[in-house]
Amino acid sequence: MRRFLLVTILILASAIPVWAKKIKVTFWHAMGGSRTAFIQRMVEDFNYTHPQIEVTAEHKGSYRDTLNAAILAFKQGKAPNIVQIFEVGSQLALDSKIFMPFQDLVKPTDYAMLDDFIKPVANYYKIKGKFNSIPFNSSNPILYYNKTLFKKAGLDPNNPPKTFKEVIEACKKLKQAGIPYGITWPLHSWFVEQWIAEQGALLANNENGRKARATDIYVDSPAMKRIMSWWKTLYDKGYYAYSGKPEDWDGANNLFVSGQAAMLITSTSDVTIMQNAAYEHNFELGTAFLPVPDGIERNGVIVGGASLWVTKGHSPQVLEATKKFLLWFTNTENEVRWHKGTGYFPVRESAVEVLKIQHWFDKNPAYRAAFDQLLSTKTNRATQGALLGMFPELRTIITDAVQKIFAGTPIDQALAEADKRADAALAKYNRSVQ
Amino acid sequence: MQAKNGYFKNNFLALVLILPTLVILSLFLYYPTIKTFILSFYQVAFLGLKKVFVGLENYKILLTSSEYLQIFKNTFIFVVWSVGLSLAIGLGLALLANHKVKGKRIYRLLLIWPYALPPAVAGVIFLFMFNTQTGIINYLLNHLIGQKWAWLSNPTLAMAVVILASVWKAIGYNVVFYLAGLQNIPGDVLEAALIDGASAWTRFWKITFPLLSPMTLFLLVMNTISAFFDSFAFIDLLTKGGPAGSTTVLIYSIYRDGFEYFKTGLAAAESVFLFGCVVILTLIQLKCSQKMVHYAR
Repeated sequence: MRRFLLVTILILASAIPVWAKKIKVTFWHAMGGSRTAFIQRMVEDFNYTHPQIEVTAEHKGSYRDTLNAAILAFKQGKAPNIVQIFEVGSQLALDSKIFMPFQDLVKPTDYAMLDDFIKPVANYYKIKGKFNSIPFNSSNPILYYNKTLFKKAGLDPNNPPKTFKEVIEACKKLKQAGIPYGITWPLHSWFVEQWIAEQGALLANNENGRKARATDIYVDSPAMKRIMSWWKTLYDKGYYAYSGKPEDWDGANNLFVSGQAAMLITSTSDVTIMQNAAYEHNFELGTAFLPVPDGIERNGVIVGGASLWVTKGHSPQVLEATKKFLLWFTNTENEVRWHKGTGYFPVRESAVEVLKIQHWFDKNPAYRAAFDQLLSTKTNRATQGALLGMFPELRTIITDAVQKIFAGTPIDQALAEADKRADAALAKYNRSVQ
Repeated sequence: MQAKNGYFKNNFLALVLILPTLVILSLFLYYPTIKTFILSFYQVAFLGLKKVFVGLENYKILLTSSEYLQIFKNTFIFVVWSVGLSLAIGLGLALLANHKVKGKRIYRLLLIWPYALPPAVAGVIFLFMFNTQTGIINYLLNHLIGQKWAWLSNPTLAMAVVILASVWKAIGYNVVFYLAGLQNIPGDVLEAALIDGASAWTRFWKITFPLLSPMTLFLLVMNTISAFFDSFAFIDLLTKGGPAGSTTVLIYSIYRDGFEYFKTGLAAAESVFLFGCVVILTLIQLKCSQKMVHYAR
């Protein structure tokens, strides 16, 4: 009996450290594939160095699935502390009113960390001058090209096409050399939005919806027509190919990696993947700025990717722990690590400094294009990007219009119809939040 | 209280045994159905934080907007073709598999396999096969006739591919049930017809098919329901609603309006519509069965 009591007490005593209360923070994200494990390792590092806090990261699927899951959880009163929301979901996140501005959590001693964000990124995520969310993974579209195929077609591998016309000419030469397709990119509205920004044009009124809520979308602007007529020319001449399915990022990657297309436009977040693919498939990879329409001054690109939002309604203790984690997760060292492992942009000035000191961009020139492109982006409303509550629907309206144009509908007509649809959808959305 | 007929002498015991199922059905089926019906009269803001009563406006949009009329048309084409084809091919394969051939057990096993495949896996397989540039179908087509067809970016072809994928998956189910039905047909009736000099064609249409009619009715109802609801995976994976909305069917539109666009009220109205369509179709099929289905006595 005495021995039994002794053993019981010893077991209970050894369990006491487990009883010590840790502050729990939940983090829901949409980073899949190899990135899930990457984030998991970062979270484990944080938990190890901050024993009073326990962060759990969960991969909830796509950006859309993560947002839906967060909404449902909030309705049940069990919202996660941190949610990763894609850039065009920012207006939705604001209108939902379940998040609190990140800047409200930050004390004056942490302000230096907020000032450290790169201008274009801070520009996008600051709404009315305040950080509502903290930037984490930012990307922009770049041109990947197969230097080996370029040499085969007699094109200069160190001078990739920079404008729409140059792309058409390069495709002509590539086709003559027997390469099936000149260029590919996913049939996704994101690229259209980028080309609008490069021309310094706006997508919506009220200064892209940033000065006041937008009420009119400019789908049939001259800037849009320029993009569509170039795209249609490429498609009709057989220079541009896509797998057939809209928003097929993997399909476009496959076309490029398999050597069927010599050029690819996609997000810089795939640089690491593309480098590995180039090594496996025995070709030399090159990267460059997004090609832009001729005759315009390059205005810059809109920051893509996502940011991390904090839900409200938690105790000050938990909020403090959340803030600590977020500032750690996006600090200089971790941004450098995240960039090297994926290709996503290092969003801090200090991270950029570290990479420069390490001569990272000299040794890995493929990562440089997105970097230079973002830093040379001009700060204005066009590159700040539009703020629209029904952005997902707008993207489908634009992809539908593109497919109609491919099928033969005149560009002016297709864009006019799309414009009507977009404005009607926006009016309905605005009515629901009035 | 004593029950006059029925298995249970005690009414109370019967009720208690049914109660768990009733509770689950109420929570997961009846309550959401009623709620959805009510929700269809509102325009719901993102997250359901605000609801504006709009009466029949959602239904008006569904019945008058050209986009939704297109969706109804697509759904009709998809359901008619996929149900028709999968029943016809299923019956044909079952007839063949019913003969006494060598290895018929293996054939029967192989025929049911596609049904056991998750729709998502089947969808990805078809996506790879029909990829315009690198798919195996276009590779063979190129070899044979030197052409590559735009399977997923041409409106008609995209609908054909989605129907094909759906039919391929449903065939196994139909084959199994038809085989069972065929084996229940008394051999002496067919022998008598053979002795009387009836051709194979006559024997099939005058004897086999009528005797299979209960099975046909059952499969018709099941396939229709499946075509309305289970087609979601194929459309999401293969075409995402298709070139300019040409393969958007009702179930896909409900998902998109509800979870991508967050237009919950409109999606609820569409759900009510879908529910109504399936109920009406099932009632029609059951009514027709009274005239056309022969149950063996």
